[in-house]
Amino acid sequence: MNPLFRLGRALLGAALIIGIAVVLQWLQPVYISKELSIRLMGAVFGLVVVVNSNAIPKTLGRRWRVQSGAAAQAARRVAGWSMVLGGMGYMLASLFAPPALAFPVSAAILLTALFAATLRVTRIGTSCPRQ
Amino acid sequence: MSAVFKALSDPTRRQVLQHLQNGPLGAGELAQLFDVSKPTMSAHFAVLVAAGLIEPVKQGRTITYHLKLSVLEDALLMFAEAFGLQVTRTKAGKPSGSPHKESR
Repeated sequence: MNPLFRLGRALLGAALIIGIAVVLQWLQPVYISKELSIRLMGAVFGLVVVVNSNAIPKTLGRRWRVQSGAAAQAARRVAGWSMVLGGMGYMLASLFAPPALAFPVSAAILLTALFAATLRVTRIGTSCPRQ
Repeated sequence: MSAVFKALSDPTRRQVLQHLQNGPLGAGELAQLFDVSKPTMSAHFAVLVAAGLIEPVKQGRTITYHLKLSVLEDALLMFAEAFGLQVTRTKAGKPSGSPHKESR
């Protein structure tokens, strides 16, 4: 993919997130409560994590793919699933957990997913010889 | 996305993806796992490559196929394997996702 296109897409995504934050800020407290605004922003952040993590197994570089083989493929798959489920958990916790627990629970879910993904990916080099 | 659905609509192609989940395999090794002709397998590989689900890597004279599934595509594969995908049938009764007649 063209690097300029990728940069443009990333900037558009960032602008979209900032735009949503500004709109949510503008809507409260007249149209929506501050709590709902925070919950919706949490859901947007979770969605960003899901969308970006979805591509983790696919974005494996060709050189890395050839050198590492099955172990790397399995690790990337686990990391992708872990982060997607973590992002979905973050979304759900942000939207539906009790207000006092929403942030700690969602953050704990996402950090656990990130830890699991990192652990799985970093273990490739030590547990499996390169092909 | 329609290319992905087309690729996942065929049971042989789904089996190819499942074999590749255990690790990269050569085109010959993969072809031996199925009771279909090599040209048919090549056509299946071409559909999977066109959908971006696998990536061919040429090393000398051999082609090795590597899995290239996103999480969503992986979930779709599991769903298709569990419940099947709706495939329109031609007059001959062959699924439209099939590249051509399988014979050996």
